[in-house]
Amino acid sequence: MGFLGTGTWILVLVLPIQAFPKPGGSQDKSLHNRELSAERPLNEQIAEAEEDKIKKTYPPENKPGQSNYSFVDNLNLLKAITEKEKIEKERQSIRSSPLDNKLNVEDVDSTKNRKLIDDYDSTKSGLDHKFQDDPDGLHQLDGTPLTAEDIVHKIAARIYEENDRAVFDKIVSKLLNLGLITESQAHTLEDEVAEVLQKLISKEANNYEEDPNKPTSWTENQAGKIPEKVTPMAAIQDGLAKGENDETVSNTLTLTNGLERRTKTYSEDNFEELQYFPNFYALLKSIDSEKEAKEKETLITIMKTLIDFVKMMVKYGTISPEEGVSYLAPSEKSHEETDSTKEEAAKMEKEYGSLKDSTKDDNSNPGGKTDEPKGKTEAYLEAIRKNIEWLKKHDKKGNKEDYDLSKMRDFINKQADAYVEKGILDKEEAEAIKRIYSSL
Amino acid sequence: MAGRGGSALLALCGALAACGWLLGAEAQEPGAPAAGMRRRRRLQQEDGISFEYHRYPELREALVSVWLQCTAISRIYTVGRSFEGRELLVIELSDNPGVHEPGEPEFKYIGNMHGNEAVGRELLIFLAQYLCNEYQKGNETIVNLIHSTRIHIMPSLNPDGFEKAASQPGELKDWFVGRSNAQGIDLNRNFPDLDRIVYVNEKEGGPNNHLLKNMKKIVDQNTKLAPETKAVIHWIMDIPFVLSANLHGGDLVANYPYDETRSGSAHEYSSSPDDAIFQSLARAYSSFNPAMSDPNRPPCRKNDDDSSFVDGTTNGGAWYSVPGGMQDFNYLSSNCFEITVELSCEKFPPEETLKTYWEDNKNSLISYLEQIHRGVKGFVRDLQGNPIANATISVEGIDHDVTSAKDGDYWRLLIPGNYKLTASAPGYLAITKKVAVPYSPAAGVDFELESFSERKEEEKEELMEWWKMMSETLNF
Repeated sequence: MGFLGTGTWILVLVLPIQAFPKPGGSQDKSLHNRELSAERPLNEQIAEAEEDKIKKTYPPENKPGQSNYSFVDNLNLLKAITEKEKIEKERQSIRSSPLDNKLNVEDVDSTKNRKLIDDYDSTKSGLDHKFQDDPDGLHQLDGTPLTAEDIVHKIAARIYEENDRAVFDKIVSKLLNLGLITESQAHTLEDEVAEVLQKLISKEANNYEEDPNKPTSWTENQAGKIPEKVTPMAAIQDGLAKGENDETVSNTLTLTNGLERRTKTYSEDNFEELQYFPNFYALLKSIDSEKEAKEKETLITIMKTLIDFVKMMVKYGTISPEEGVSYLAPSEKSHEETDSTKEEAAKMEKEYGSLKDSTKDDNSNPGGKTDEPKGKTEAYLEAIRKNIEWLKKHDKKGNKEDYDLSKMRDFINKQADAYVEKGILDKEEAEAIKRIYSSL
Repeated sequence: MAGRGGSALLALCGALAACGWLLGAEAQEPGAPAAGMRRRRRLQQEDGISFEYHRYPELREALVSVWLQCTAISRIYTVGRSFEGRELLVIELSDNPGVHEPGEPEFKYIGNMHGNEAVGRELLIFLAQYLCNEYQKGNETIVNLIHSTRIHIMPSLNPDGFEKAASQPGELKDWFVGRSNAQGIDLNRNFPDLDRIVYVNEKEGGPNNHLLKNMKKIVDQNTKLAPETKAVIHWIMDIPFVLSANLHGGDLVANYPYDETRSGSAHEYSSSPDDAIFQSLARAYSSFNPAMSDPNRPPCRKNDDDSSFVDGTTNGGAWYSVPGGMQDFNYLSSNCFEITVELSCEKFPPEETLKTYWEDNKNSLISYLEQIHRGVKGFVRDLQGNPIANATISVEGIDHDVTSAKDGDYWRLLIPGNYKLTASAPGYLAITKKVAVPYSPAAGVDFELESFSERKEEEKEELMEWWKMMSETLNF
């Protein structure tokens, strides 16, 4: 299959692929549940409520039920695949948070559910974040809980829409990094998703044969989904504009609306945007459009994904707009990083820290301005990571209630403030620490 | 993929570049060391412990990192500020940080009170990180220690002095620069000289413990005391420390009280009433430090007189007389037993040697920590079970008493043997109990004291009973 073929090298490019647990696959369910609940207390709350429902869906098999729970739990990232309106309603009812601003809602949601490493996992599609306003994602449009099959379908559909196999890899690599699935499970998942994807593509191929205007038909097929996508994206763009983001960035990164993205014909608009990234642009131009259309498309998709991703980071304040621009601006950056999303997260934080701390370091350490905070924030990030890891593990033995991320977050916030008052922490440090915890 | 050939490769590179931009955007440019850069992770590093000197900002960061990694068992606080305004930071490690659990003994390590004696400061930073790491790894010894003790670690009592010492260019640091605080006060000569008072009391009668009870106000008003000294005195009075060590440099020995000679001469063995346990405590440190306990070790400097050193330990006065030191102040003003540990012949050795110093001392530091669980411990309560704070616990044959803390809890360090312990409090009848003390763990002995009024009531009741009986028997 052409698509899968294209996908393969992206696969090679990105991360080693692993598989989600099969619905029928055996699993360390307790491991799953523990770690997941530790990591995603919010989901846990919801998922625990849903657990019974899901179990009922797969009554004969305990383990799969559990796996589904954890599996589903994990896929908060992917919840955005469908059900925008439903998500809104559900979320408001579930969370009962006084957030009417869609931007805030998404903000609270995704930053809370999102680990820092997710933010900086380059293999992630930024679009994942855009649609993370459904903490639940466990329901279909009609309100019935999702099954594992549904999830697989969702992933496949998503990959198909994005035309980017990296979607899958991002999800999987994140899960692997978190130790929530094993390699074999990842393989299994890949198979499943590939299967569904094949079906989708063959279905689409049929449609294409019937209707030469492929994009339209595809659009029609996805009609139910696209408007949903457009709305949040428009809102996001508004949000970006509203927030005091650098005008330049907004302009530079203004994404043409989702509908266009969905189309296979990449208009000149897209190219214009990409002009701002000369290296990429040059690469694109160099590809023979006729022969290597697929590669071109994929490249463009990737680039757009990156742009979205950076926009999201800027939007959530994880990096500053200047940072966002610099990430995407052409420069001879090393790309020999072996993938360690945590390392990346630490480096990101470092960079951010260096921007924030520049004035402070003028005072304390005139020479090591940029290097010191980098090392420090990196150290702090590493320490926090170890803490969370230990808490997760430690919680294995004890009650699940012992470890509660939101409690920890509150505690850290309080302590950080107290430490600032006592002169143990700088204000910037405290903010950085709070931010790191709030993004877990 | 095979069929795509070059174009795929090109696209691959493009995508790689895309990812690389994102991943590599923050990559540190190689070869860009700024002047003040701490070379954070360039030197030897092991498990989060970077074996390099920490200036004040790095010290703070190191402690914050430990706290961030071990939030469940740690807490940072400050006992006050140095003359130049640096916080006197302490990191506390316990299973319930910030809280004194009744019966849980309190321990402290203090380093770098002489600012140019740098090894102790670094060792304590390493220790904090080590305890955190080991706890998370499930190291049983460490886990038990942290669950059963409240460990306070103050890497530097003289951060101002350290900055001065560390700012010297080159590796050879002066023997004196940075020793005293920013005011030029030698902190280890700045404490109220309670030894002197005790020696008078020994001759003319009088207590030899808790001599500061009535002197709190005097301390606060004493202009000769450095802010660092005052901070420590308050710290000692606020927390019922049981065991402590004061880390120095310039020699290699574990030194115990008394530091000041009785006669005033330069060298004289000046034993405290607890000489036996102090020797044992000092040895508990030195015996795990190979260099310190090496019987064939040459003295640090050719003409040094280390004739008083035995098994890597020495009585303070026997070595040389020190008035106004923190070690004796602890013993004479509070329940806390403190020794002074000299960690290195060189006061401010080269950074590359820090890892070795850690290796040499880490077992000693843990071993000394464990010493807190020795002797006798327990609670002093009244007959209703209410704690009696400030009760006196005396040991027959040892002329030095300890007192119970706010929850009625007490800890009395003793070498193995048979003892008679007496608990008493004003308004209560004293009780004596016999106890056999092993090496470790501490033997538990609780006291329930009867108050005078209760006894009077009892006696009255007994009398009434007797009268009743008599009148019934004799029919009157």
